[in-house]
Amino acid sequence: MSVLTETAGLQMPRAKSSHRKGRTLENLIRLFFGGNAFVAVVVLVLITLFLIREGFGFFGGNLQNLRVYRAAGLEYVDIMRTQVEAHAALSRALSDVRVRETRKLAEQGRSVEEINSALAAFDQFATSFSDAGNNLAGLVSDLGDQAIALKEKAALGEPADLAALRSSYPAYEQISAATAAEINALLANPPQLSTPEAQRSFEKVKARMRASVAAFPAKAQCLREWDPGRPVHWYESITSFLFGKEWITASFWQDWYGVIPLLAGSVMVSVVALTLAVPFGVASAVYISEIATRPEQNLIKPYIEFIAAIPSVVLGFFGIAVLGQAIRAASELPFMSWVPFFPLSERLNVFTAGALLALMAVPTIFTLSEDALRNVPRAFKEASYALGANRLQTIARVIVPASLSGIVSAILLGLGRVIGETMVVLLCAGNRIAIPDFTEGLGAFFQPVHTMTGIIAQEMGEVVQGSIHYRALFMVGLVLFTLTLLINLAAQKISARYRMSVG
Amino acid sequence: MNDEARMSNVETMTKHEAASSLSFVIRHSSFRRRSRLREQALFWLFRLATYLILAAASYIFLDIGIKGSRVLFTKKPPFVNLEFLSQAPETLYVFDYQGKKMTLGDREFREWKTTHEINDAEVTSVAYSAGGIWPCIVGTALLVIGSMALALFIGVSSAIYLSEYSRNGRMVRLVRTAILNLAGVPSIVFGLFGFGLVVIFFGWNVSLLAGWFTLGLMVLPAIITASEESLRAVPQGLREGSLALGATRWQTIRKNVLPYALPGILTSSILGIARVAGETAPIMFTAAYATRDTMPWQVSRFSDFFFQGVMALPYHIYVVSSKIPQNDYTARVQYGAAFVFLLLVMLIALGSILLRTRLRARLQW
Repeated sequence: MSVLTETAGLQMPRAKSSHRKGRTLENLIRLFFGGNAFVAVVVLVLITLFLIREGFGFFGGNLQNLRVYRAAGLEYVDIMRTQVEAHAALSRALSDVRVRETRKLAEQGRSVEEINSALAAFDQFATSFSDAGNNLAGLVSDLGDQAIALKEKAALGEPADLAALRSSYPAYEQISAATAAEINALLANPPQLSTPEAQRSFEKVKARMRASVAAFPAKAQCLREWDPGRPVHWYESITSFLFGKEWITASFWQDWYGVIPLLAGSVMVSVVALTLAVPFGVASAVYISEIATRPEQNLIKPYIEFIAAIPSVVLGFFGIAVLGQAIRAASELPFMSWVPFFPLSERLNVFTAGALLALMAVPTIFTLSEDALRNVPRAFKEASYALGANRLQTIARVIVPASLSGIVSAILLGLGRVIGETMVVLLCAGNRIAIPDFTEGLGAFFQPVHTMTGIIAQEMGEVVQGSIHYRALFMVGLVLFTLTLLINLAAQKISARYRMSVG
Repeated sequence: MNDEARMSNVETMTKHEAASSLSFVIRHSSFRRRSRLREQALFWLFRLATYLILAAASYIFLDIGIKGSRVLFTKKPPFVNLEFLSQAPETLYVFDYQGKKMTLGDREFREWKTTHEINDAEVTSVAYSAGGIWPCIVGTALLVIGSMALALFIGVSSAIYLSEYSRNGRMVRLVRTAILNLAGVPSIVFGLFGFGLVVIFFGWNVSLLAGWFTLGLMVLPAIITASEESLRAVPQGLREGSLALGATRWQTIRKNVLPYALPGILTSSILGIARVAGETAPIMFTAAYATRDTMPWQVSRFSDFFFQGVMALPYHIYVVSSKIPQNDYTARVQYGAAFVFLLLVMLIALGSILLRTRLRARLQW
C-alpha cells in the first residue's frame, strides 16, 4: 500500500509534502537505529566513568588511612613487629629442620624414643631460641594496644600524643641487646645433627639467624630516626595500591590495599592456563583444518565449540568436587615423590584453577586459529606443493606462518577470556591472599592464591557502600578493565595487520 | 639451537625431494621414508592433542552426567525426580533415632518433631541439602527472558543500522571498536558496573530489573555481531529490487531483508541465551539471592515484581559448592543442580549449533 502512495506521489504535485513527510519519517527511523547502535559506545563510556567515579575516591581515603598509620605510631610499632615476625619465622624454620631430621631418622629405622633423645640438644636449642624472642613480642603487643588507642583518637580528629610510645625506646634497646646476646651465645655452641640433609638446612637457618642479629642495629636506627611528622605524599596513596604487596581488610590493626598479590594470582593462573591451552588449542586447530578427514571435522568442530558453552560455575564445581582432589591424590602417589614440592597440601591451588581455565580458553583459541588457518589463500598451499614440499612442510613453513598473526590474536583473546574469568578462580584457586613463595620454583604454581576477579566477587557483597574497601574493589575492577581492554586492542591491531598481509 | 637444526634439516629435505623427481640418488628413498615417518608422527601428535581435549571435556560431562542423573532420574515411574525439580531448597536434618539413621528435610522434620522427642544437640543440620531447585530454575528463566528481550531489541536495531544504513564513516568505526571492546570486558566488570549504576545510582537495589540490564548489556556485542552477519548474508539483489520498485529503505528492510535474516538472528541468539543463563559473576550482586522463601509471582503489588531479587541456578550452584562442605549429604543437591543446569545450557547450545548447520545448508544464495 505505502509503496503505491509513494510512487503516486512522484507524479502528483500535491503529494510533495507527503513525500517530505516520508523522508522525515525515514530519517527518524534511521535515527532510531543509529541511536541503538550508539548504545555500545555509551555503555563502554559509562563503564569507564562508573569505575572511575566509584574507584577514584579510594585514593583520598587511602591517603587518610596512610596518614593515620603514621600519625598514630602504628608504623613505629610495625618496625619492631617485623623483628618479632622474623624471629617467629626462624623458629618455624627450626621446627622444619627437626621434621626433616625426624623423617630421615625414622627412615633409618630408629624408634621414637631414640629419635627424641638424639634430638634433645637440638630441641633445647630451638626452645631457647624461641624464648629469646618472648620479651620483644610482649613489648610489641603492649605498644600495639597503645597505638590502637591512639589510632581511635586520631580517627576522631584528636592529635595523637606519641610520647608514651616513643619512651619505650630504651626498653626496646635493652631487650634487643639481651636477645642478640642470647642468640649469639646459642650460635656459639650449636648442636650437631646426624643426617647431612638436616645439617645442611640447619646451617642455612643458622646463617639466617646471624643475618637477623646483624640487622638489629639497623632496626634500632630506623626507630630512632622515625618521625611521625614526616609528610605522607599524595602519590604514596597510588603507589601503595599499585605496588603494595599486601591486601589486608577489616583488620583491627591496619588495612592495606595493595593489588600486587591479586595481580600475581591472576597472572599465574593465566600462565598455567595458556601454557596448557596454547599447544592444545593450536595443535587441534591445525589438525582440524589441515589433517583431519571430513567426518572428523564435522564431529570435532561443533564438539569443541560446544565446550565453550559449559557454564564456568559448573567447571568450578567440577574443580572442587573432582579435579582438586584428583590432583592432590596424584601428588601423593609414591612414584611422584621425586617432584620436590609433592605431595601437595592444598587441593585448590593455581594449577587446579589454571587447568580448568585452559579448557575454557581452548575453544576460543581453537575457533579463531582455525578461522585464520582456513583463510590462508589456496594458492599458497598449491604453490608449496608444486615446489615439492610435503604436507608437514607446507603446514609448518607456509600455512602457519601465513596465519601467525591470526593465531597470535586468537591467543590474546584467549588470554583476555582467562584473565577476566571469575567463577572458576573464585571456586578453585584456593583464595589465599598472598604472593606465592617463588623460592619454591615451580612449586609456586601449586600454592593457593587469590585473583582480581575473585576478590571482587567475594568481597563486593559484604562491604559497606562508599567505604575505602568498597572503592578499592572498584579500583581493582578498573585495573582489570584496563588490562583486558589493552589485551583486546592488541589482538585487534595484530589481526588487522594480518588481514592486509594475506587478504 | 634445536630449532635451527630442524630448520636446516627441513631445507635439506626439500632439496632431496626436488632431487627425487630426477630419481638418481639411491639413498633418497630411505630419506623419504624417514621424512614420511616424521610427518606421520607429528600428525599423530596433533591428533592426540585434539582427542585429549575431547576426552577432558567428555570426562566432565560424564562425571556430572552420571552422578547427576542418579539424583534427577528414578527407577520407578515417572522416572524423573519431580520432587527435586518442583520444590524449594531446604535445610537437611540428620540424626539417629532409636538406632535408625534419619534424614529429613526442614518441613518434614518440624512435623516429625511434633510427634517425637529428640534432643536438638544430636541433630546435625546441612544447609540447602534437602528439597529441590524449583525457585532457581524459575529465577534463571525470568532473568534469561528479560535480558534477552532487552539485548535482542537493542542488538537487532544496532545491527540493522550497521548493515543497512551506515556508511563507513568515523562514527561507524567508533561504534565497531566499542562493540569489539565491549565483547572483551570481563563479566565481573559488568557486574560491578550494574552494581554501581543500577543498584546504587538508580537505587533499584538487588532486583530482576538490575539483572536484566546487566546481563542484557553483557550479551549485547554477541547479538549485534550475529545479527549483522545474518543481515549481511541476505543478497543485495533483494534490497535493490525492492528499492527499484520505489519502496523506501525502511519498507525494504521490513519486507525484504528482516524476514530472511530473522531465522539466522534467532538461532545465533540462542547461543546468547546459553551465555546469559550460564553467567554467575554479573548477577552475584545485581539480581541473585542465596535464599528466598517466596516465589517471584508472590508479590503484593505488580511493580514489586520487577524490583525483587530472585534465586538463580548458577548462583545456587556457587553457593552449594563453596559455602557447604563436600560430603554424602550435600552431593545430592550439588550434583543434581549442576547436572540440571549443565543439561539446560547444553540443550540450548546444542539446539543453536544444530539449527545453524541446518540453516546454513538451506539458505545458500
